[in-house]
Amino acid sequence: MSEGPLIRLVDVSKRFGELVVLDGVSLDIPAGQTTAIIGPSGTGKSVLLKHIVGLLDPDAGEVLCFDVDMARASEAERYAVRRRFGMLFQHGALFDSLSVGENVAFPLEHHTSMTAAQQRKRVDEVLAMVELPDTFDRPTTALSGGQRKRVGLARAIVLEPEVVLFDEPNSGLDPLTSDAIDALIGDMKRKLGITFVIISHDIVGTVAVADHIAMLYGGKCIAQGPTAQFVRSEHPMVRRFLQRNLALPDGTGGVAGLPGLG
Amino acid sequence: MNALGNYALFVWDFFGALRRHGVPSSRIVAEAYAIGIRSLPILLIISAFVGTNLALQGYNAFKPLGGQRLVGMFVALAGVRELAPTIAAAMVAAKAGTEMASQIAVMRLREQIDALEVMAVNPLAWLVAPRLFGILLVMPALTIIAIFTMTSSAYAVAVFQLGLNGQTFMAFAAEGVDQIDFFYGVVKALLFGVIICTVSCWYGFRAGKGPEGVGRATNGAVVTAAVACVCLNYFVSELLYGGSLP
Repeated sequence: MSEGPLIRLVDVSKRFGELVVLDGVSLDIPAGQTTAIIGPSGTGKSVLLKHIVGLLDPDAGEVLCFDVDMARASEAERYAVRRRFGMLFQHGALFDSLSVGENVAFPLEHHTSMTAAQQRKRVDEVLAMVELPDTFDRPTTALSGGQRKRVGLARAIVLEPEVVLFDEPNSGLDPLTSDAIDALIGDMKRKLGITFVIISHDIVGTVAVADHIAMLYGGKCIAQGPTAQFVRSEHPMVRRFLQRNLALPDGTGGVAGLPGLG
Repeated sequence: MNALGNYALFVWDFFGALRRHGVPSSRIVAEAYAIGIRSLPILLIISAFVGTNLALQGYNAFKPLGGQRLVGMFVALAGVRELAPTIAAAMVAAKAGTEMASQIAVMRLREQIDALEVMAVNPLAWLVAPRLFGILLVMPALTIIAIFTMTSSAYAVAVFQLGLNGQTFMAFAAEGVDQIDFFYGVVKALLFGVIICTVSCWYGFRAGKGPEGVGRATNGAVVTAAVACVCLNYFVSELLYGGSLP
């Protein structure tokens, strides 16, 4: 299943004024697997994701996606790489002036020669996949937070991308909706079998779906590896992060309590 | 100076994006319609009342000299050549320009512009180009509407309130301006349209975070666009009319 890294970050550094956000981060994201990048808020996870899609350029280091150096690539090369990506933004980033269906059809409109009927069929398919059937004409302003994420996910996968990036898929959601989104991501992972990159600080949901986990702290990647290996890391920050997120007062929580990791 | 350099860079990038990606032509008419409809009511009101005051002040200025008949020429010269294009620009900046700035600022805030980039859709070509071509379509029409509204209201005040002869008013008005003045009005309108659209969109794209950022972008857009149009108006008039201004 595993191939060479699809995305490779080599010694990536980024600062905004005096604030060093990324400080020599190196990370490999393997093809066909789910990689989670975790860490406390403000450690540069979203900045890292923006480097992967070329929305930000590193001050030093390289970001290679499909062997294309995103910082040095021309606009046409970047766009060619981005057409192989889908991305779910933190708050959906749906266009308020468009309906649910028009939002999902947006990439089809721009990058395919599909007829309106073909677009409609494909949009209905992906809306059904994210469990929002019959919502084509609904205005996005009428959606709940969880529904916005589902529509955002439908838009991210509508072009059948090779990589889907998730920026904090659980942020701002109540625990039940958050669980539903985690289940949906797991379901998508099984159905699509493509590369997922998930940025999150929600370790419970992340451990359940990730094949690999990397942790950012203080602008550095302090630990990375297969999930089963990562959760046993002895790094003190990893331990603190895992315990804070997973331990339950009655002692029944913890990584050991998760399926397949006990 | 730094801001001016950033604006110039934005305009340069925009025309580069336009060349590479073309114009989403299907959205131009919708943008033109929205810009025109939003700006029209306030433009009609302001133009009408500027026209009434032109007649009133022209009458007061010329009456002691016995030149009341010149009111028509005064209204035509000031209205057609200067005030109508400037007022149309100010109103479009106030209505459509602020909407452009705030819409784009909110899109930036909600990561919708990043989403466009990630979907390999150039935001400058997608967001700015239809607005620019839309404003270019309606600005000349709005300027001509402002000219006629201003002249009509001035005529009404001059004839029905001040008791001037209507035919004399129109004859002197026709003497004051020529067809070329309407053409120059359209040229000014097009230039002002470019300024309003690019300045407003630029403010939207560089908006800071949060509601305060949106507010600042909106405010900065209308102030800068209106001031730029008024200042530019002098230089364009100097260029078009030079020392031949009667």
